[in-house]
Amino acid sequence: MFGQQHVKEQLTAYAHGELTAAETARVAAHLGACARCRVEFEQIAYGIRLIESLKTHAAPAALWDNIEAALAHEEVSSQEQRTERAAQHASHEKATRRGWRLPGSSRLAPFGGWRTALAASLLALFVLGAGGASWFYVRSTRTSWEVARLAGAPSIDADRIGSTGRLGIGEWLETDANSRAQIKVADIGQVEVDPGTRIRLVETRLTEHRLELARGRMHANIYAPPRLFFVDTPSAVAADLGCAYTLEVDDAGRSILHVTAGWVAFETKDRESMVPAGAACLTQPGIGPGTPFFEDASELFLDSLSKFDFANGGADALHTVISEARPRDTLTLWHLLARTEGDERARVYERLAALAPPPAGVTRDGIMLLDPAMLYEWKAQMEPTWLTESMPIVRRAWRSLWSK
Amino acid sequence: MELTAVTDERPVEARVVESCQQGDRESFRLLFETHKDKVYSIALYFFGGDAALASDITQQVFLKLFTRIGQFRHQSEFTTWLYRLTTNTCIDEQRRRRRFSPFPETFDAPAKAHPPLPAAEARFMRLEMADSVRAAIASLKPKLRIAILLKYFEELSYEEIALVLNCSKGTVASRLNRGHRILARRLGHLRANVLSGD
Repeated sequence: MFGQQHVKEQLTAYAHGELTAAETARVAAHLGACARCRVEFEQIAYGIRLIESLKTHAAPAALWDNIEAALAHEEVSSQEQRTERAAQHASHEKATRRGWRLPGSSRLAPFGGWRTALAASLLALFVLGAGGASWFYVRSTRTSWEVARLAGAPSIDADRIGSTGRLGIGEWLETDANSRAQIKVADIGQVEVDPGTRIRLVETRLTEHRLELARGRMHANIYAPPRLFFVDTPSAVAADLGCAYTLEVDDAGRSILHVTAGWVAFETKDRESMVPAGAACLTQPGIGPGTPFFEDASELFLDSLSKFDFANGGADALHTVISEARPRDTLTLWHLLARTEGDERARVYERLAALAPPPAGVTRDGIMLLDPAMLYEWKAQMEPTWLTESMPIVRRAWRSLWSK
Repeated sequence: MELTAVTDERPVEARVVESCQQGDRESFRLLFETHKDKVYSIALYFFGGDAALASDITQQVFLKLFTRIGQFRHQSEFTTWLYRLTTNTCIDEQRRRRRFSPFPETFDAPAKAHPPLPAAEARFMRLEMADSVRAAIASLKPKLRIAILLKYFEELSYEEIALVLNCSKGTVASRLNRGHRILARRLGHLRANVLSGD
């Protein structure tokens, strides 16, 4: 555990981005290590979601008329008091009072002449324009991310940016063959965009930041609790569980995800692949995420897995995957349990059990029935094997933070 | 106001306020149009969705604003002054009402009957959940409630909220933390709906 002191009292400020960088880092590290504070944080995040679900309401249209009438009444009353005190000017005061009651009158008090009225009108016009513009600017900066040009001429919605620009919700950032850019993801990290990429900001709010990668390649470095940052691709969603990865989408909508630190969940509505550092995962439109694998597996293993996932490779491809699997490839075998049935699942189980015997309490029958608790207990036991060889010590620490 | 003032470099809002201080009704109207929805929303959520009371509070706030604008000395942000006025008006009204008919202080207390929000709007905002959230916010202690409303409906920073409420940033953080935790606990039964709505 990185921090001994619980951070329960700082969690809302953390979620609102009100802490200093050092405090943010400390809270993030503690959150990863402390299950108790993580539960608290989930409560806070849920509270934020609840409030964010509420809308600002428009005040009733008649309100201004009521206010204007009340002001007019107040003016008349105060004028009448003055009138009583100055009886010798009574007729003049009455005339003035009648003037204030005229429909369309724009003055509450007897200031100015035509010059003031003209200046006030010009000011009102100016304010309506400039004030409105500045209000929209403030709004847009709160719902946009900073983009820095790294090379070439990146564009946002077809407009080239200078050294920096801002990517608003719904806007596309595009890089040509010679351009690169960096996007600052709210306050939680950065995304580097390689040449030939088209990427859009879908959403940014306290509890969710989401990009859409239509084609090209991006590198994400995220420093935040799990499931705060998402990238939609044509065939799956990459949900960040903390740390770093590269995601690439080709013109056919296929994707490949390489995780360099931490974990990423690559998912569709009915299928999820948990991809740790050092591993990769492919997706195809209409199929979704394939089975994750370590890229240092044998070529035969990788080729057969691809056939099984995307080319109806069936029992033959599965047999090769099973026979070629090393202890580290238990990552792939564990995922295959839920993607096979009957005898095939039994074969996957036997090989998995031979490479990494299940812990006490995890039974063959339970696994064959895909008992969630048993599956996750077995996975937890195998995780050190998956991570040791590919991750330096700091990254292993990160993994342990966010995978609990 | 002289024409030269139009082109000076002071913030736009400061110039509008000065114009109001000289009695210009168009500038009053401009301030009203700029801030009315936020003031109304704060009042609406502060009083658990009571639209008539929220209208009344909004009217009171702007009447006070316009009649006291001469007292504003530009020593703080205008919005800080406005939201302090809004906060005080809401809290004063609540105190006044409590003397006659206690406002429910806990979520489990019998709900006050409020006129429904406009039907067209209600269709779009998952009414049941919004009602529950609104009721839960209204059931918070006023100090927690107003901190939450200033944060989410005015989008104020902790520092700005501290200025409005005349307290420290730490107090703001603490009130928001407590407020969020209470809401999450009281509305735990909606968690599945909220998450599935993502």
